[in-house]
Amino acid sequence: MGVPSRSIWRGGLIGAIAAIYVALVGLYTRFADLELVGEQITLGRLLLVAPALVAAYAVTRPRVVAGERRPVAFGRGVLAGMLTGLVTGAVFAAAVWFAEWFGTDRIREVFIQISDPLIAFLTFDKGVPAGLPILIALSVLGGTVGGLARTAPAQARAPLAVGTLAVLAMALLQRIIPIVFVELGFEADWLYAPSRGLTWFGAALVFVAAAGVNALWHRSGERTRERVRSTIQEAPAAKLGLLVVIIAVLAIMPLLLGTVISEVLGQVMIYVLLGIGLNIVVGYAGLLDLGYVAFFAFGAYTLGLLTGAFLNTTTGAAEPVLSGDLSFYVAIWIVALLAAGLGLLIGAPVLRLRGDYLAIVTLGLGEIVSIITASRWAQPLIGGPQGMRGVTKAEFAGFNFQDNPQHFYYLALAFVILALFISWRLAGSRIGRAWNAMREDEQVAEAMGVSTIRFKLLAFAMGGAIGSLGGALFAVNLGSLTPTSFELLVSITALAVVILGGLGSLPGVVVGALVLIGLPGLLREFEEYRLLIYGGALVAIMILRPQGLIPNVRRSRELHEEEVEQDAWGVAEPDDREAVAAVLPGGGLGVEREDLE
Amino acid sequence: MSANGTRLLELAGVAKHFGGLYALSGLDMYVDAGEIVSVIGPNGAGKSTMFNVATGLYPPDDGDVRFNGQSIVGLAPNRITKLGLARTFQTVHLFPNMTVLENAMVGQHCRGTSGVVGSVLRLPSTRREEDRIRERAKTALDFFGKRLSGYRQDQPAFALSYANRRRLEMARALATDPILIMLDEPTAGMNPRETLELRDHIVRMRDQLGITVLVIEHDMRVVKGVSDRVIALDYGRKIAEGTYDDVANDPQVIEAYLGTKAVG
Repeated sequence: MGVPSRSIWRGGLIGAIAAIYVALVGLYTRFADLELVGEQITLGRLLLVAPALVAAYAVTRPRVVAGERRPVAFGRGVLAGMLTGLVTGAVFAAAVWFAEWFGTDRIREVFIQISDPLIAFLTFDKGVPAGLPILIALSVLGGTVGGLARTAPAQARAPLAVGTLAVLAMALLQRIIPIVFVELGFEADWLYAPSRGLTWFGAALVFVAAAGVNALWHRSGERTRERVRSTIQEAPAAKLGLLVVIIAVLAIMPLLLGTVISEVLGQVMIYVLLGIGLNIVVGYAGLLDLGYVAFFAFGAYTLGLLTGAFLNTTTGAAEPVLSGDLSFYVAIWIVALLAAGLGLLIGAPVLRLRGDYLAIVTLGLGEIVSIITASRWAQPLIGGPQGMRGVTKAEFAGFNFQDNPQHFYYLALAFVILALFISWRLAGSRIGRAWNAMREDEQVAEAMGVSTIRFKLLAFAMGGAIGSLGGALFAVNLGSLTPTSFELLVSITALAVVILGGLGSLPGVVVGALVLIGLPGLLREFEEYRLLIYGGALVAIMILRPQGLIPNVRRSRELHEEEVEQDAWGVAEPDDREAVAAVLPGGGLGVEREDLE
Repeated sequence: MSANGTRLLELAGVAKHFGGLYALSGLDMYVDAGEIVSVIGPNGAGKSTMFNVATGLYPPDDGDVRFNGQSIVGLAPNRITKLGLARTFQTVHLFPNMTVLENAMVGQHCRGTSGVVGSVLRLPSTRREEDRIRERAKTALDFFGKRLSGYRQDQPAFALSYANRRRLEMARALATDPILIMLDEPTAGMNPRETLELRDHIVRMRDQLGITVLVIEHDMRVVKGVSDRVIALDYGRKIAEGTYDDVANDPQVIEAYLGTKAVG
């Protein structure tokens, strides 16, 4: 099976457009000096290869012919990949040439990232046109690798891919892993060049180790793998052991990773809480809530007020009109209870709305809350644009949860475990079943005796309470609150966490938060491209894996409902009808007619 | 459970219109406890609308619906189900991604009371209730013999055959512990053997489980086989009522189905 030439042209062009886009947003210049392996492989150069690689990988995908999946043959796949890379490289080189001819200064008036250093980087300091063949050659290389990655024999492909990805991951985590090594008392110099990427030796070692483990795992045969899997899944002792290991790892993680990464982990935990709460509303009950920031803000400010935070003013500090002096450990439960009440309040007016309408109304309600936090009207209570400071440090037995990120991590972890437990128990109960039924068919659930009003409100209340915990912890972590922390982006990020991980899936929420909050936090270099990466990740996930990274079994079925509809629902009916028609003379009504006459 | 012969469901002067279309116009009918009553009528006669009004899905524009001695107009559908009135739908409406057993367990939902605290802490009372819900759901599934038993109970509902989906819908309705079950064209799309089997099931619902049955049915052999009483509807009104033979020979019913003979 070959690849149609149209496909190669199209894939190559799309690759070139992607490369030009990467150049326009300034990713090449930004990462030109970020060394991954040795001094030669920088992230910038990797990004030169990537568009052709991805395009070739897409072009050589298996094609469905007459209902049959046909993979592309090895040799033809590699050739198609090379050609795709050639198209990408040639078009991109032409664009670079054009930019040089037209004048980078004139282009920069519109696209501010286009500069002479960029052209120098793209032509490997050899200038136009001398450097362009290298650019094209790199694209061809990328395309070849892309073709190989898709069509090479499986037993070779998997270890190579795993090895490469391991090297890439280790190289990107160059700020973190050396710290861990030092904390553990090991030397890291042989693996990482000082404050740079992997050494060539280190990269080779990582590659061999990762590829070797993968190859062994595959060599060990299906039966061994199956045994390991079923032991983990079925034996209660193994399950318990796994849980103990996970908790132990979570517990010692901040000690190993140091304060900087612990702070990132604390942020992740806050979004895990938001995700767990939102997952109840969206994942379990199927109510699309775009105003979830309301609970986050409510939790943060309410905790501040209850624990005696004061307002920022131009002259110093002022007492809010309402203020408590409670301990964090009392206030947090009051916050959750009040937030459940707010959930009922927000839920009540939208009970009759579904789908898009519900989304728009909750979006509006969320905006109202974030506007109130910034308004002068609410200034006597929560400080308006200046916000509040002096939120409790929640000190407890020598732990300081505000100034010490490692300590804060433990506080957040405790609440995450609590929320996970509550959410997990609810999902497996009569309540979870009612939510499920309601999500699948609201009207039928109602007709079967499920009070949809009650369970919608319950979902809003539970989701609101858990989300407010995230807000309260956020307040403790920061110690001061300003309205800029409570904008629409919080709602969007929380929803992205839930969707990326897989709607209705608790492990999915954790993974989603790690990917969307943890990675950008760890890879500070990417901070300014955070939203670009969010967008890219979400688009890729929705196309490649719409059920999320770790899907809930039932939800992933729902997303494939259309196929199911064709496979199971739809087909059976006409068949049965035909069977009846074939046996009964004249079909159903025919009998009536005979009987009546 | 109401004693046999008492009036269980009563519709008095019920009207329902959608814009200018009168789906029901002044419908009077009743079902007594222990009866099997069939409702027949051509397409668009208002049969399904009558079901939707009786079960609270649509509010009636006029008239009264009484169930087991109380007016149920204005009650939410889930309250009516809890009072003991269960139903199935004309087109199958399961929860396709839940398992067969879970579908039936949803039916038993309204007989449970455990709340958030009980569910999170898994209190003994909640566990007992959950066990009872599961057992009751299994009993409801076992009503259909081997059709919905064994490994099938853990399959998602969408994996069932068409006939089994219809059976599951009835099992789910039975799992609500109803006094009156309303079946909307239960044999639609079934083959002759399945239709015969279902006829027996309808009779068994009353004879074994003591449930009163109101059924919309097009297959006249089923109507003939099960009905104590037949009600014929047309244009949202009752046009005939009585034994099967009475109704089948009623000139108005014949006209409704076949049209007026040309006078020649």
